[in-house]
Amino acid sequence: MFPAVEIEDLTVAYSNKPALWDVDLRVPRGVLMAIVGPNGAGKTSLLKATLGLIKPAAGSARILGRPYAQQRHLVAYVPQRNSVDWDFPTTVLDVVMMGRYGHLGWLRRPGRSEREAALAALEQVHLADFAHRQIGQLSGGQQQRVFLARALAQQAEVYFMDEPFQGVDAVTERAIINILRDLRAAGKTVVVVHHDLQTVPEYFDQVALINVRCIAAGPVREVFTEANLRATYGGRMNIFGNSAGGTAPAPSLAPGD
Amino acid sequence: MIELLTDYTLRNVVLGATLLGAISGLLGCFAVLRRQALLGDVMSHAALPGIALAFLLTGQRTTITLLIGAAIAALVAALWLLAITRTTRLKDDTAQAFILAIFFGFGLVLLSHLQRHPNAAQAGLKSFLFGQAAALIERDLWAMLAIGGPALALTLLFWPQIKLITFDPDFARSLGLPVRQFEILLTGVIVAAIVIGLQTVGVVLMSAMLIAPAVAARQWTNRLETMTLLAGGFGALAALIGAWISAIGEGLATGPVIVLTMSGLTVLSLLIAPERGWLWRRLRLARGWKPDDRV
Repeated sequence: MFPAVEIEDLTVAYSNKPALWDVDLRVPRGVLMAIVGPNGAGKTSLLKATLGLIKPAAGSARILGRPYAQQRHLVAYVPQRNSVDWDFPTTVLDVVMMGRYGHLGWLRRPGRSEREAALAALEQVHLADFAHRQIGQLSGGQQQRVFLARALAQQAEVYFMDEPFQGVDAVTERAIINILRDLRAAGKTVVVVHHDLQTVPEYFDQVALINVRCIAAGPVREVFTEANLRATYGGRMNIFGNSAGGTAPAPSLAPGD
Repeated sequence: MIELLTDYTLRNVVLGATLLGAISGLLGCFAVLRRQALLGDVMSHAALPGIALAFLLTGQRTTITLLIGAAIAALVAALWLLAITRTTRLKDDTAQAFILAIFFGFGLVLLSHLQRHPNAAQAGLKSFLFGQAAALIERDLWAMLAIGGPALALTLLFWPQIKLITFDPDFARSLGLPVRQFEILLTGVIVAAIVIGLQTVGVVLMSAMLIAPAVAARQWTNRLETMTLLAGGFGALAALIGAWISAIGEGLATGPVIVLTMSGLTVLSLLIAPERGWLWRRLRLARGWKPDDRV
C-alpha cells in the first residue's frame, strides 16, 4: 500500500536562497502528522510545493502513489487564514461551496448538491447558522472553521492544513482537534503545519521536524526528543520555558499520546 | 429630455457614455478586488502611445484601429510590469510609477510630434487625453460593443472560476484551475474595459471609471453578484450625467465631468451606505454599540 504522502529530495529556493533542502518525508495513511519548525524553516513551502503551488527546484511529491496532478480529487487544502481578504463580498456558504469546485465541470454552475455538501460541512464545524453571513462579520476562530469546512466539503482522503490553530481561542482549538480526530477515525490522513510544540504529543501521532532540512520525522514518541528539538530550533529552546520553570522538559515523556 | 432621443449627437453621447460606464463599472470590480487598481491606472496611461502609434503606422483614425493600438500598448505595459517585478528587486509600486511615466511620456512625445504635421486627423487624437463625448459617432458605439461584449461574455461564462481565483488564488491552484491563464484573461478583460472608455473619458482619468463604481457598490452590498451589477449601474449613471452635462455645456472636457460625477456618487456611498457607511457607524457608536459588533 502506498503511503498517503511521499516526498523525495524536495528542494525549494526563493531567488537562490534555499527554503527547503533535499527533504524526504513519508506520511503513512490514517495519521495526524504535525510539521513543526522555527519561523522561516520552510514549513509552508513544504506544503505548497507538495500541492504544486510553488515549483520546486528539485524533487517530487506523490499522493497515494501518484503525482499530485493526478490525485487532486483526493486532496483538501486549508491555506493560512490571513492569506485571503476577509472583506471580500461573499457569504460563508459561498466560500464553503468553493470546496466543491474541483468536482465541477468547466461550465457547470454550483447547484443544489454543492449547496447541500457545503451545508453539511458547515454543520460539522458548528457554523450552520452562519451560512448567509458575510465572511468579514466572523471572528478569527469562525473564519478558521469556515476554511476547515471548505476542506471538509472537498471530501478528500488527504488533508493539508497550514496553521489551522493560528489565532483561535481555546474552544475553537478544541473543536478543530475533535474534527481532525474524526477524520483520522474515518481513515483519512491529516498533515498540519503547527507552531505550538506543547500540544504536539497530545494532538498528533506523527511529527516532522523541519528547519530547511528535515531533521527528523516519524512517530511522536520516537522522534519528538529533546535532542531532535535542539537540532531543529538551535538555541531557541526557551519556547518550552513556561511549562516547566525554565528548563526544557523531555518532550518524549509528555503524556497524551 | 425629448431631444435625447431625436438629436443624433446627443443620442450617441448618451448611449456611448452609458455603455462605457456600465462596462467599466462591471469589469472594474475585479481590478479593485484583486488589488490591481493601480495597474488599471498604469494601463490606461500606457494606452496613449498605442493610440498615436496605431495612427502613425496605419494612417487611419477609425475608432477600432486606434483602440486596438491602445489595447496592445496597455497589455505590453502590463507584461513589462510583470517582468520587472519578477526579475528585479524593484517593488510593485516603484515599477508601476516607472512604467506609467515611460509610456505616458512616450505617448505625449508622439502626440506633439503629430502636432507638427497638422492635418484633420491629429486634432482627434488629442481628445484621447481628457475625452470628448460630443465626438462620438454611431460607429464608435459599435466599436465599444465589439470590444466590451466579448469581455463581458467571458466573465459571465467563467464566473465561478473567476470568483474563486479573485478570492483565493492559492486554493484555486490547488484545485487544478489554470490560475495563470485566468489572470491573463482578467487582465485582458480590464484592458478591454479601459479601452472602450478612452474616447469619452480619456487616458488620464479612465482608471477612475474602473475603480470608483466598484468602491461605491461595495458599500451597499456584501455579495459579489450584486456588487458587480450595482457598479455597472453606478458607472452608467455617472457617465450618462457627466457626458450630458459636458455635451450641452461649452468647453467642458467630458472625462473630468464624468469622473467628478462618479466621485460624488462614491463619496455619498462612503458616507451614507447602511452598515459600512461613515454615518451609520457614527450612529452605532452614538447608540453605544461596539464599532465592530461581531457575533
